[in-house]
Amino acid sequence: MYIFEGKASEPVYLWVNEDQVEVRSAAHVWGKEVPETTDILKVETHPEARVACIGPAGENLALMAAIMNDKNRAAARSGVGAVMGSKNLKAVVAMGNKNPPLFNPDAMRDISVDTSKNVGVDIKKGSNLRIYGTAYVPQVTNTLGILPTRNFLQGTFEHADKVDGVALKEQYLIKNVPCYRCPISCGRLTEVPDGPYKGKGEGPEYETISSLGTGCGVSNLAALTKANYLCNEYGMDTITTGMTIAAAMEMYEKGYISEDVIGMPLRFGDHDAMIAMIHKMARREGFGNDLAEGSYRLCEKYGHPEIAVTARKQEFPGYDPRGSQGMGLLYATSNKGASHMEGDVAYEEVFGVPVKENPLTTEGKPELVKHFEDSFALIDSSGLCVFLAIRYVFSKERMVWPVRLADMMNLTTGAGYTPEEVLKAAERVYNLERMFLIKAGSGPEHDTLPHRMLHEPLPDGPAKGKVVELDKMLPEFYKLRGWDEKGYPTKEKLEELGLPVS
Amino acid sequence: MMIHIKMIGNYRDHLPPASKNGMIEIEVPDGTTVHDAISRFGIPLDDSSVIVLNGLTVDMNTPLQEGDVVTAFSAIAGG
Ligand code: SF4
Repeated sequence: MYIFEGKASEPVYLWVNEDQVEVRSAAHVWGKEVPETTDILKVETHPEARVACIGPAGENLALMAAIMNDKNRAAARSGVGAVMGSKNLKAVVAMGNKNPPLFNPDAMRDISVDTSKNVGVDIKKGSNLRIYGTAYVPQVTNTLGILPTRNFLQGTFEHADKVDGVALKEQYLIKNVPCYRCPISCGRLTEVPDGPYKGKGEGPEYETISSLGTGCGVSNLAALTKANYLCNEYGMDTITTGMTIAAAMEMYEKGYISEDVIGMPLRFGDHDAMIAMIHKMARREGFGNDLAEGSYRLCEKYGHPEIAVTARKQEFPGYDPRGSQGMGLLYATSNKGASHMEGDVAYEEVFGVPVKENPLTTEGKPELVKHFEDSFALIDSSGLCVFLAIRYVFSKERMVWPVRLADMMNLTTGAGYTPEEVLKAAERVYNLERMFLIKAGSGPEHDTLPHRMLHEPLPDGPAKGKVVELDKMLPEFYKLRGWDEKGYPTKEKLEELGLPVS
Repeated sequence: MMIHIKMIGNYRDHLPPASKNGMIEIEVPDGTTVHDAISRFGIPLDDSSVIVLNGLTVDMNTPLQEGDVVTAFSAIAGG
């Protein structure tokens, strides 16, 4: 683990070669986009090295800046790219072949074989995740009426079939690309071969489709795919980028921001304007300087904070919680601000993984959210991908019971954890993050949702008429967490978890 | 009565050629349930199958009404 403190006086990158660590000048790659930066740094270090870097968005401290890995994979949310930019840290480049030995390699191989044979349909040949990637999801969320459309003004998009996985596969897919050694291979290498949106890269995945696509009312798949490439090249989170533009579109359509201020008309569905905004945002040019602050600060600046669909000032991902109540509680309490990756209860409410829950009800959701948050903390800590791992963290009865995960950890490290200890560790992670947030000024008073979710019923689709009934879920959630009624972890809970009390 | 069947992702392959964008309208007798309607298409239903009626979570034995949309997909944890 590396911890970066303070700020370098000049742009630098870190080169980690086996156990040698060197801070090098990054002056020659500062200002360059992600693909070029990655190529240059590999040439001057090692052709097999892995590069995590920021692009111009991170350098310009755009609050949606991501850290890009291997060019196309993003540590996207919460502006981590801007944190690197603020330190003048352009990249971390790593190379290493000395894997630490496994505690029990034979048993580890057996459990890996068993896992790939017996866990989950995701892994099997004809599975949606393999054929269509996550881009198969817009049809699902559209069916349930929770596909973010036009900045969450609606829950269904009339052109969903133009921007889904089937269309993508037929028109632009070159091949699947896996993360390191993953048998599922849900990543998409795509190419728009010609025309104004010509380009090649990875994506779009579901969350990009629901933000830069349906979120902005955009149904032009070529333009949406190009927008995804641009975000990767500038190093930006597609969710926050898309939903910030969506908020600006709504402000424009309602007459709250003029064409003069923006520099052009910015209507929902105008894919060229959407692309123009991405360039401006990454470079903080003109109106892009406002956009680069994200939708909360943008809408506040122009006098209409109610238009920003954010929690803890972070934009919502692709599930409208008015039709997926558990997601509402998750967004309100996630330690990262609105984020599905902190405990995606949509797995149950939307996908039925591992069991189907009614997305429109609140009963049992506090417990479900707690289970998912702890499970995600566990999966993240073990370095696995949630797509598959979620299937072996949960038992059939849906209690969190990470036997297989604990087994894997033990075979790797020899630590001898029990499932109980592993679960306790997950709860500790979650509570530690909570304590950090409280100290950082983002305490329980931020466990809430924006106006639209609490007071503007969904106008369309199966969830028509619903708002998020947060007050029915939050008190029970605090109780289940062992927090006081205001949402502060109690002394007893902190002591139980071995965390410092003050 | 006429109802609509919508298949998402890999289940689309089970629809007859007359379908469009993963959707087909079919005639079924009164009293047909969600389960009956879906069973006609030979989908290999398993743990991953999710079936919703007009976008809502319902019992598989719910009788259908004219104009209903039954949607089926194989769930992945993803998004
Ligand atoms: S590790 Fe996860 S995200 Fe990566 S290809 Fe596999 S399933 Fe997809």
